[in-house]
Amino acid sequence: MSKGTEHLDLDNLDVGTKEKTFLDSTELVLNMGPQHPSTHGVLRVILKLDGEKVLGTECVIGYLHRGVEKIGENRTYAMFNPYVDRMDYVAAVSNGLGYCETVEKLLSVEAPARAQYIRVIMTELCRIASHQVWLGTHALDIGALTPLFYAFRDREEILKIFERYCGARLTTHAFRIGGCIYETYDGFEQDVKKYCTFFLPKLDEYEELLTTNRIWVTRTKNVGILKPEDCIALGVTGPVLRASGVKWDLRKAQPYECYKDLDFEIPTGLNGDTYDRYLVRIAEMRQSVRILQQAVERIPPGPIMAKVPKVIKPPVGEVYHSIEAPKGELGYFIVSDGSTQPYRVRVRPPSFVNLQALDTMVRGMLVADVVAVIGTLDIVLGEVDR
Amino acid sequence: MSLSPFLGKVFLVDLVKGLSVTFHYQSEKERITEQYPQERPVVYERYRGQPRLNVNPDTGESMCIVCNLCALACPEQLITVKGERNPVSKRKEVVSWTYDISRCMFCGLCEEACSTDALELTPDYEMALYSRQGMVLDQAALEKGQAPVRYAK
Amino acid sequence: MLDAIKTYLNSTVTPGEAGSQFWALLYIVAITLGISLAVIAMNWLERKILAHMQIRLGPMRVGPHGLMQPFADALKLLIKEDIIPANADKLVFWSAPVVVTMTAFTTFLVVPFGRTHAVTDMNIGVLFMLGISSLGVLGIIMAGWSSNSHYPLMGSLRSSAQMVSYEVAMGLAIVCAVLMTSLQTGTGTLSMIGIVQAQQAQGMWFIFKFFPLGFLAFVVFAIAMIAETNRAPFDLPEAESELVAGFHTEYSGFRWSLFFLAEYAAMLAVSSIAVTLWLGGWLRPFPNLLSGPAWDLAFSLIPGLSFLVMAAGCFLGTMRMPKIVQMRAQAIGLGTFGALLGLLGLVMLAPAVRDRIQDIFWFVAKVAVFMYLYIWYRGTFPRYRFDQLMKVGWKVLLPIGLGVLILTALVGMRHELLAVVVGGTR
Repeated sequence: MSKGTEHLDLDNLDVGTKEKTFLDSTELVLNMGPQHPSTHGVLRVILKLDGEKVLGTECVIGYLHRGVEKIGENRTYAMFNPYVDRMDYVAAVSNGLGYCETVEKLLSVEAPARAQYIRVIMTELCRIASHQVWLGTHALDIGALTPLFYAFRDREEILKIFERYCGARLTTHAFRIGGCIYETYDGFEQDVKKYCTFFLPKLDEYEELLTTNRIWVTRTKNVGILKPEDCIALGVTGPVLRASGVKWDLRKAQPYECYKDLDFEIPTGLNGDTYDRYLVRIAEMRQSVRILQQAVERIPPGPIMAKVPKVIKPPVGEVYHSIEAPKGELGYFIVSDGSTQPYRVRVRPPSFVNLQALDTMVRGMLVADVVAVIGTLDIVLGEVDR
Repeated sequence: MSLSPFLGKVFLVDLVKGLSVTFHYQSEKERITEQYPQERPVVYERYRGQPRLNVNPDTGESMCIVCNLCALACPEQLITVKGERNPVSKRKEVVSWTYDISRCMFCGLCEEACSTDALELTPDYEMALYSRQGMVLDQAALEKGQAPVRYAK
Repeated sequence: MLDAIKTYLNSTVTPGEAGSQFWALLYIVAITLGISLAVIAMNWLERKILAHMQIRLGPMRVGPHGLMQPFADALKLLIKEDIIPANADKLVFWSAPVVVTMTAFTTFLVVPFGRTHAVTDMNIGVLFMLGISSLGVLGIIMAGWSSNSHYPLMGSLRSSAQMVSYEVAMGLAIVCAVLMTSLQTGTGTLSMIGIVQAQQAQGMWFIFKFFPLGFLAFVVFAIAMIAETNRAPFDLPEAESELVAGFHTEYSGFRWSLFFLAEYAAMLAVSSIAVTLWLGGWLRPFPNLLSGPAWDLAFSLIPGLSFLVMAAGCFLGTMRMPKIVQMRAQAIGLGTFGALLGLLGLVMLAPAVRDRIQDIFWFVAKVAVFMYLYIWYRGTFPRYRFDQLMKVGWKVLLPIGLGVLILTALVGMRHELLAVVVGGTR
């Protein structure tokens, strides 16, 4: 279990007597401010250092808080759909999927089979896109300048597919409550298949650049180790959990959509260090391609929208439903009071919970590793702050 | 350590592999940058861009029947539609129709709600303006669409 | 006047050796201008080549294909507000960039672009270069100290620790090469011109001598020189995504550009050492394998041809420019630049010019290869953490350098050693 986070009292910080200069004291409080190239958004991390070693951290969040959950209380269920894309803006499709599924659970409807396959295809493409952003920015933090551009260049193809399908690249608003509203366009299956054949050699290229590179390995091995017990105790999910050795993936453990009909594996790691998290995410990208190749062959014909009333008024009740977003377990807890607007929408963002593991992971590490560890957690501040 | 990994480490094979990857991307074939504004990107037809009020090409009158569904569907309530019933044709006609682009998130709910094909989000994306005043579009602006300003000498 | 030029053209030694102050001064001015031009070219090349490796285009707007970008950057830096931190030590703050720049430029006093094309030929040339570039470390410490801020101080201390550590490995590799000048033929010399002449006399570049020892020494030097100049993958002290900022954080405008100039000049200087010591300096490739007047003629045409090829590239670029009104100025500019290059190429094909230009061209070409390697490494490798960096310098490069040195001595003296051993046992 972690040693417990001491709350840093900045006003009464004990850094020795007043006569000592900053060079004499052994403890130093360093502020990695909200504006920083490596914090992946507006995150403020206060580090307590002993020379180069980190003694403790404290994250100050909230710089990107936009009141999304409050907005949810003042919009109808269908109207709230575009807002959830803006939370994890890197993987907007997953957010939409989670929300639509939760409301469908509340309404006790299930999307038709064709809609499920389309949703799975879009979600897996989104997973690859999100992992590509992670790869590029993480490599950039560690100093490799080029994988960023390669990853974004390959991600461009996915965004083109999104644009052709639903009309937007980033804030996709792809799904609706009850299924999908957009029918697949002519050439959707060919595009996805073409992407799969295009992407696998690119993935090999990323690995050639990084996986065996001695500088990469020395920089990421044994950095930010998170033991499986700590993961479970902190509530960490997603690739971070799987890299620590716990084989838990919601797509297999609590299957949703049509994942139970698809054949894929859950990659896990051994040590729970940064290198393992890197390997797990690369392997996940390969598994996503595998899912895509299967799903695209098996899209059944049929309707894409279930019978959902025009004005959605769910019965009184509450429901929690979670999906495996690229960053971890994305959960929605919706309380309905019988009217057209939810009483409460609570989002369980994976990045928010994973960020709490930062303190455990960086204790005893050097300052330069903090940046690597924040990158490996794959946080998106839009999700952390909502 | 067995021979092959040892030799690999000594001869910096892993570093050379990385170097060869970056080297081959220097070729001309890999360039995909579009030099905007000389080369404009290809945008697909479902793209949710600039809104447009469609006009019936045969009769020249607006296709909007003032059903107000778009205004009700918008999450941001930025569409205002006012109409009055024409006593002759017994159909509602538009008096004023505004759409606030500055707050629009281009979600497409209004386009879906429209019962005719009147409101459409076109694939036009060049909507930049110099002031906020021009961002509340009225019916005339919406029917014309916004053509990008071509800089010509 | 004409006699003076004639004596200069017919001399066989550098102006410094000849004692002619006027020509030495002219050479100093030429070298300073040359380095500045090289830094400007490096700035443009780095941005373009790095961009191409990253599937981008790099600067395209400022001039044709961004050729005027370095001038625009220089102008911007010159007109920036000169900010000095509040409690900074003003004298030290002012003189730190001067120290760093001057040391970087002074090392070029002994760099030989040809047998007669150097300012002077000191008989301790290599030692001089090493010593003066060590002085640059002082400038970095001065910069960090005078900024009166925590992070630049830490950054400068780290930077200087890194540079000093890798100088040890560099020194060992240099000793190895200097040793080779005396092995089996000739006398040992520290003079830069003397080392190249030793390679010429022994008929092989030192990178191939006692293979793989010369090559290993070269590799040790090549890695150490990257760490010496704070470039990727050893650029932690200047990395933007790290917490501790570099020593030049508090410098803005022209002062920062001096640091930037000094960094590139230092890169050029250490590459010149590498080229002189291992790659045969100004000698043309394959002096033994492809010898004879025909090959000599062929190789002497290469400088002119290379400029003509560059001119052809410019004309190709001009023809591929979009044919719209806004791009006309750029197209004309690129065409003019291409024409200038072509003219230069034709001039370099003339026999009188050809022979004299040869040495300088080969030297510059080899240094250019090193500059490309610098940019290539920056685009490919992640960066080392500071403790890992120091570990590589002390625990990997230093033992290898020592080992190579000892082995070179053993292999070079093998006949004498065998004689002693055989004679001793008899």
